[in-house]
Amino acid sequence: MDQQNELSAHSSLALIESMINKAQNQFSENGTLYLVWGWVVSICSLGQYLLLKLNMTNFKQSGFIWLMTIPVMIYQIFFLIQKKKTEKVKTYTDEIIGYVWMTFGICMGLFSYIMAMLQIWNLFYPFIFLFYGIPTFLSGAIMRFKPLMVGGIICWVLSLVSVQIHSIEVILLLIPAVLFGWIIPGYLLRARFKSA
Amino acid sequence: MFKELDPILHSQLRLAVMSLLIGVKEADFTFIREKTNSTAGNLSVQVQKLKDAGYIDVVKQFKDNYPQTTCKVTPEGILAFENYVKALQEYLKVGN
Repeated sequence: MDQQNELSAHSSLALIESMINKAQNQFSENGTLYLVWGWVVSICSLGQYLLLKLNMTNFKQSGFIWLMTIPVMIYQIFFLIQKKKTEKVKTYTDEIIGYVWMTFGICMGLFSYIMAMLQIWNLFYPFIFLFYGIPTFLSGAIMRFKPLMVGGIICWVLSLVSVQIHSIEVILLLIPAVLFGWIIPGYLLRARFKSA
Repeated sequence: MFKELDPILHSQLRLAVMSLLIGVKEADFTFIREKTNSTAGNLSVQVQKLKDAGYIDVVKQFKDNYPQTTCKVTPEGILAFENYVKALQEYLKVGN
Protein backbone atom coordinates (compact mmCIF):
# COMPACT_ATOMS: atom_id res chain seq x y z
CA MET A 1 0.00 0.00 0.00
CA ASP A 2 2.79 2.38 0.98
CA GLN A 3 4.73 1.46 -2.17
CA GLN A 4 1.62 2.20 -4.24
CA ASN A 5 1.16 5.58 -2.54
CA GLU A 6 4.81 6.44 -3.10
CA LEU A 7 4.61 5.68 -6.82
CA SER A 8 1.43 7.60 -7.03
CA ALA A 9 2.99 10.54 -5.20
CA HIS A 10 5.90 10.59 -7.66
CA SER A 11 3.69 10.40 -10.72
CA SER A 12 1.34 13.04 -9.28
CA LEU A 13 4.21 15.45 -8.69
CA ALA A 14 5.56 14.76 -12.19
CA LEU A 15 2.13 15.52 -13.65
CA ILE A 16 1.84 18.76 -11.64
CA GLU A 17 5.31 19.84 -12.79
CA SER A 18 4.63 19.08 -16.44
CA MET A 19 1.31 20.99 -16.42
CA ILE A 20 2.82 24.02 -14.65
CA ASN A 21 5.59 24.05 -17.27
CA LYS A 22 3.02 23.90 -20.07
CA ALA A 23 1.24 26.92 -18.60
CA GLN A 24 4.52 28.81 -18.10
CA ASN A 25 5.72 28.18 -21.65
CA GLN A 26 2.62 29.83 -23.02
CA PHE A 27 4.05 32.74 -25.05
CA SER A 28 1.35 35.16 -26.05
CA GLU A 29 3.75 37.98 -26.92
CA ASN A 30 4.52 37.96 -30.64
CA GLY A 31 6.40 41.28 -30.63
CA THR A 32 3.99 43.11 -32.98
CA LEU A 33 3.50 46.23 -30.85
CA TYR A 34 7.22 46.46 -30.03
CA LEU A 35 7.96 46.43 -33.78
CA VAL A 36 5.20 48.86 -34.77
CA TRP A 37 6.15 51.39 -32.10
CA GLY A 38 9.88 50.87 -32.68
CA TRP A 39 9.62 51.65 -36.39
CA VAL A 40 7.20 54.57 -35.94
CA VAL A 41 9.38 56.25 -33.31
CA SER A 42 12.46 55.70 -35.53
CA ILE A 43 10.75 57.23 -38.59
CA CYS A 44 9.35 60.18 -36.58
CA SER A 45 12.67 60.99 -34.92
CA LEU A 46 14.62 60.74 -38.20
CA GLY A 47 11.93 62.82 -39.92
CA GLN A 48 11.99 65.49 -37.21
CA TYR A 49 15.79 65.65 -37.33
CA LEU A 50 15.81 66.03 -41.15
CA LEU A 51 13.13 68.75 -41.02
CA LEU A 52 15.27 70.73 -38.57
CA LYS A 53 18.61 69.97 -40.21
CA LEU A 54 17.37 71.07 -43.63
CA ASN A 55 15.80 74.19 -42.08
CA MET A 56 12.39 73.23 -43.40
CA THR A 57 10.54 74.04 -40.15
CA ASN A 58 11.17 75.49 -36.72
CA PHE A 59 11.37 73.23 -33.67
CA LYS A 60 7.72 73.63 -32.71
CA GLN A 61 6.44 72.86 -36.22
CA SER A 62 8.76 69.85 -36.56
CA GLY A 63 7.03 68.30 -33.57
CA PHE A 64 3.87 67.80 -35.64
CA ILE A 65 5.55 64.80 -37.28
CA TRP A 66 4.76 62.95 -34.04
CA LEU A 67 1.06 63.11 -34.98
CA MET A 68 1.96 60.00 -37.00
CA THR A 69 1.68 58.12 -33.71
CA ILE A 70 -2.11 58.75 -33.54
CA PRO A 71 -2.98 56.14 -36.24
CA VAL A 72 -0.63 53.76 -34.42
CA MET A 73 -2.54 54.30 -31.17
CA ILE A 74 -5.82 53.55 -33.01
CA TYR A 75 -4.24 50.42 -34.54
CA GLN A 76 -3.05 49.39 -31.08
CA ILE A 77 -6.58 49.63 -29.64
CA PHE A 78 -7.97 47.41 -32.45
CA PHE A 79 -5.01 45.03 -32.11
CA LEU A 80 -5.53 44.60 -28.36
CA ILE A 81 -9.32 44.12 -28.75
CA GLN A 82 -8.71 41.45 -31.39
CA LYS A 83 -6.06 39.76 -29.24
CA LYS A 84 -8.42 39.69 -26.26
CA LYS A 85 -11.11 38.08 -28.43
CA THR A 86 -8.89 35.30 -29.71
CA GLU A 87 -6.75 34.49 -26.65
CA LYS A 88 -7.45 31.12 -25.05
CA VAL A 89 -5.66 31.79 -21.80
CA LYS A 90 -5.06 34.79 -19.57
CA THR A 91 -1.84 34.67 -17.62
CA TYR A 92 -0.83 36.81 -14.65
CA THR A 93 2.35 37.66 -16.58
CA ASP A 94 0.36 39.22 -19.44
CA GLU A 95 -1.82 41.12 -16.99
CA ILE A 96 1.12 42.59 -15.06
CA ILE A 97 2.96 43.52 -18.27
CA GLY A 98 -0.22 45.20 -19.50
CA TYR A 99 -0.32 47.34 -16.33
CA VAL A 100 3.40 48.17 -16.69
CA TRP A 101 2.85 49.55 -20.21
CA MET A 102 -0.33 51.32 -19.14
CA THR A 103 1.70 53.05 -16.41
CA PHE A 104 4.29 54.00 -19.03
CA GLY A 105 1.63 55.42 -21.37
CA ILE A 106 0.06 57.48 -18.56
CA CYS A 107 3.46 58.77 -17.38
CA MET A 108 4.50 59.69 -20.94
CA GLY A 109 1.24 61.58 -21.46
CA LEU A 110 1.58 63.45 -18.14
CA PHE A 111 5.27 64.11 -18.71
CA SER A 112 4.66 65.54 -22.21
CA TYR A 113 1.97 67.84 -20.80
CA ILE A 114 4.19 68.95 -17.89
CA MET A 115 7.10 69.65 -20.26
CA ALA A 116 4.84 71.62 -22.60
CA MET A 117 3.58 73.70 -19.65
CA LEU A 118 6.96 74.30 -18.00
CA GLN A 119 8.94 74.60 -21.24
CA ILE A 120 12.02 72.90 -19.73
CA TRP A 121 13.03 71.16 -22.95
CA ASN A 122 16.59 70.31 -21.90
CA LEU A 123 15.08 67.77 -19.50
CA PHE A 124 12.85 66.25 -22.18
CA TYR A 125 15.17 63.70 -23.82
CA PRO A 126 16.99 62.44 -20.69
CA PHE A 127 13.61 61.73 -19.10
CA ILE A 128 12.17 60.18 -22.29
CA PHE A 129 15.03 57.63 -22.34
CA LEU A 130 14.63 57.09 -18.61
CA PHE A 131 10.92 56.34 -19.11
CA TYR A 132 11.56 54.10 -22.16
CA GLY A 133 13.90 51.98 -20.07
CA ILE A 134 11.43 51.30 -17.25
CA PRO A 135 8.68 49.25 -19.01
CA THR A 136 11.24 47.69 -21.37
CA PHE A 137 13.43 46.39 -18.53
CA LEU A 138 10.45 45.34 -16.38
CA SER A 139 8.74 43.48 -19.26
CA GLY A 140 11.99 41.63 -19.90
CA ALA A 141 12.33 40.75 -16.21
CA ILE A 142 8.71 39.55 -15.93
CA MET A 143 8.93 37.52 -19.17
CA ARG A 144 12.47 36.36 -18.32
CA PHE A 145 13.51 37.68 -21.73
CA LYS A 146 17.02 39.12 -21.55
CA PRO A 147 17.05 41.11 -24.84
CA LEU A 148 14.35 43.41 -23.40
CA MET A 149 16.27 43.81 -20.14
CA VAL A 150 19.42 44.73 -22.10
CA GLY A 151 17.32 47.12 -24.21
CA GLY A 152 16.06 48.81 -21.04
CA ILE A 153 19.60 49.24 -19.72
CA ILE A 154 20.70 50.73 -23.08
CA CYS A 155 17.84 53.26 -22.81
CA TRP A 156 19.12 54.31 -19.37
CA VAL A 157 22.69 54.65 -20.71
CA LEU A 158 21.31 56.81 -23.54
CA SER A 159 19.58 58.91 -20.89
CA LEU A 160 23.01 59.73 -19.44
CA VAL A 161 24.50 60.30 -22.92
CA SER A 162 21.67 62.67 -23.88
CA VAL A 163 22.62 65.03 -21.04
CA GLN A 164 25.95 65.62 -22.81
CA ILE A 165 24.43 66.46 -26.20
CA HIS A 166 23.27 70.05 -26.54
CA SER A 167 22.34 70.03 -30.24
CA ILE A 168 19.41 68.71 -32.29
CA GLU A 169 21.42 65.49 -32.79
CA VAL A 170 19.95 64.41 -29.43
CA ILE A 171 16.77 63.51 -31.37
CA LEU A 172 18.73 60.83 -33.22
CA LEU A 173 19.43 59.03 -29.94
CA LEU A 174 15.81 57.88 -30.07
CA ILE A 175 16.78 55.55 -32.94
CA PRO A 176 19.29 53.39 -30.98
CA ALA A 177 16.93 53.56 -27.98
CA VAL A 178 14.03 51.97 -29.88
CA LEU A 179 16.33 49.78 -31.98
CA PHE A 180 17.83 48.06 -28.92
CA GLY A 181 14.80 48.52 -26.67
CA TRP A 182 11.96 47.50 -28.97
CA ILE A 183 12.90 46.58 -32.57
CA ILE A 184 15.57 43.91 -31.96
CA PRO A 185 13.67 42.37 -28.98
CA GLY A 186 10.48 42.60 -31.09
CA TYR A 187 11.97 40.47 -33.87
CA LEU A 188 13.39 38.02 -31.31
CA LEU A 189 9.98 37.77 -29.60
CA ARG A 190 8.38 37.12 -32.98
CA ALA A 191 10.89 34.34 -33.69
CA ARG A 192 10.27 32.80 -30.24
CA PHE A 193 6.50 32.99 -30.71
CA LYS A 194 6.69 31.27 -34.12
CA SER A 195 8.93 28.50 -32.83
CA ALA A 196 6.80 27.85 -29.68
CA MET B 1 -0.36 9.08 10.39
CA PHE B 2 -0.72 10.27 6.77
CA LYS B 3 -2.92 13.03 5.52
CA GLU B 4 -5.60 11.61 3.27
CA LEU B 5 -5.03 12.54 -0.37
CA ASP B 6 -7.95 14.63 -1.59
CA PRO B 7 -9.96 12.22 -3.80
CA ILE B 8 -11.15 15.11 -5.98
CA LEU B 9 -7.56 15.99 -6.89
CA HIS B 10 -6.14 12.48 -6.81
CA SER B 11 -7.24 11.73 -10.36
CA GLN B 12 -4.98 12.22 -13.37
CA LEU B 13 -7.12 14.53 -15.48
CA ARG B 14 -8.55 16.59 -12.61
CA LEU B 15 -5.04 17.07 -11.20
CA ALA B 16 -3.78 18.07 -14.66
CA VAL B 17 -6.58 20.66 -15.00
CA MET B 18 -5.89 22.10 -11.54
CA SER B 19 -2.11 22.21 -12.15
CA LEU B 20 -2.70 24.06 -15.41
CA LEU B 21 -5.15 26.54 -13.91
CA ILE B 22 -3.06 27.21 -10.79
CA GLY B 23 -0.45 29.07 -12.89
CA VAL B 24 -2.79 31.20 -15.00
CA LYS B 25 -5.53 33.74 -14.36
CA GLU B 26 -8.13 31.90 -16.44
CA ALA B 27 -8.19 29.51 -19.36
CA ASP B 28 -10.53 28.56 -22.15
CA PHE B 29 -11.96 25.01 -22.23
CA THR B 30 -10.27 24.37 -25.60
CA PHE B 31 -6.89 25.47 -24.18
CA ILE B 32 -7.24 23.00 -21.29
CA ARG B 33 -8.30 20.24 -23.69
CA GLU B 34 -5.24 20.83 -25.93
CA LYS B 35 -2.77 20.93 -23.03
CA THR B 36 -4.17 17.88 -21.24
CA ASN B 37 -4.65 15.85 -24.45
CA SER B 38 -8.13 14.87 -23.28
CA THR B 39 -11.44 14.39 -25.02
CA ALA B 40 -14.12 17.06 -24.72
CA GLY B 41 -16.55 14.60 -23.11
CA ASN B 42 -14.19 13.37 -20.41
CA LEU B 43 -12.85 16.85 -19.69
CA SER B 44 -16.37 18.21 -19.41
CA VAL B 45 -17.26 15.60 -16.73
CA GLN B 46 -14.05 16.27 -14.73
CA VAL B 47 -14.45 20.05 -14.96
CA GLN B 48 -17.99 19.67 -13.61
CA LYS B 49 -16.66 17.61 -10.64
CA LEU B 50 -14.06 20.30 -9.86
CA LYS B 51 -16.77 22.93 -10.12
CA ASP B 52 -19.11 20.98 -7.80
CA ALA B 53 -16.26 20.71 -5.26
CA GLY B 54 -15.91 24.52 -5.41
CA TYR B 55 -12.32 24.29 -6.69
CA ILE B 56 -12.92 26.12 -9.96
CA ASP B 57 -15.33 28.70 -11.36
CA VAL B 58 -16.77 27.96 -14.78
CA VAL B 59 -18.22 30.75 -16.89
CA LYS B 60 -20.18 29.90 -20.02
CA GLN B 61 -20.80 32.72 -22.47
CA PHE B 62 -21.08 33.54 -26.13
CA LYS B 63 -18.19 35.22 -27.93
CA ASP B 64 -18.84 36.24 -31.56
CA ASN B 65 -21.81 33.84 -31.67
CA TYR B 66 -19.70 30.88 -30.50
CA PRO B 67 -20.10 29.29 -27.07
CA GLN B 68 -17.08 29.77 -24.85
CA THR B 69 -16.33 28.14 -21.51
CA THR B 70 -13.77 29.77 -19.25
CA CYS B 71 -12.33 28.13 -16.15
CA LYS B 72 -10.65 29.80 -13.22
CA VAL B 73 -9.30 28.36 -9.98
CA THR B 74 -11.02 29.57 -6.77
CA PRO B 75 -9.33 30.40 -3.42
CA GLU B 76 -10.75 27.08 -2.08
CA GLY B 77 -9.14 25.36 -5.07
CA ILE B 78 -5.76 26.95 -4.35
CA LEU B 79 -5.98 25.84 -0.70
CA ALA B 80 -6.98 22.29 -1.67
CA PHE B 81 -4.13 22.15 -4.21
CA GLU B 82 -1.61 23.34 -1.61
CA ASN B 83 -2.83 20.76 0.90
CA TYR B 84 -2.65 18.06 -1.76
CA VAL B 85 0.97 18.94 -2.60
CA LYS B 86 1.86 19.00 1.13
CA ALA B 87 0.29 15.55 1.56
CA LEU B 88 2.29 14.26 -1.42
CA GLN B 89 5.47 15.63 0.12
CA GLU B 90 4.67 13.74 3.35
CA TYR B 91 4.37 10.49 1.41
CA LEU B 92 7.66 11.17 -0.39
CA LYS B 93 9.49 11.96 2.86
CA VAL B 94 8.45 8.62 4.31
CA GLY B 95 9.33 6.86 1.07
CA ASN B 96 12.86 8.27 1.13
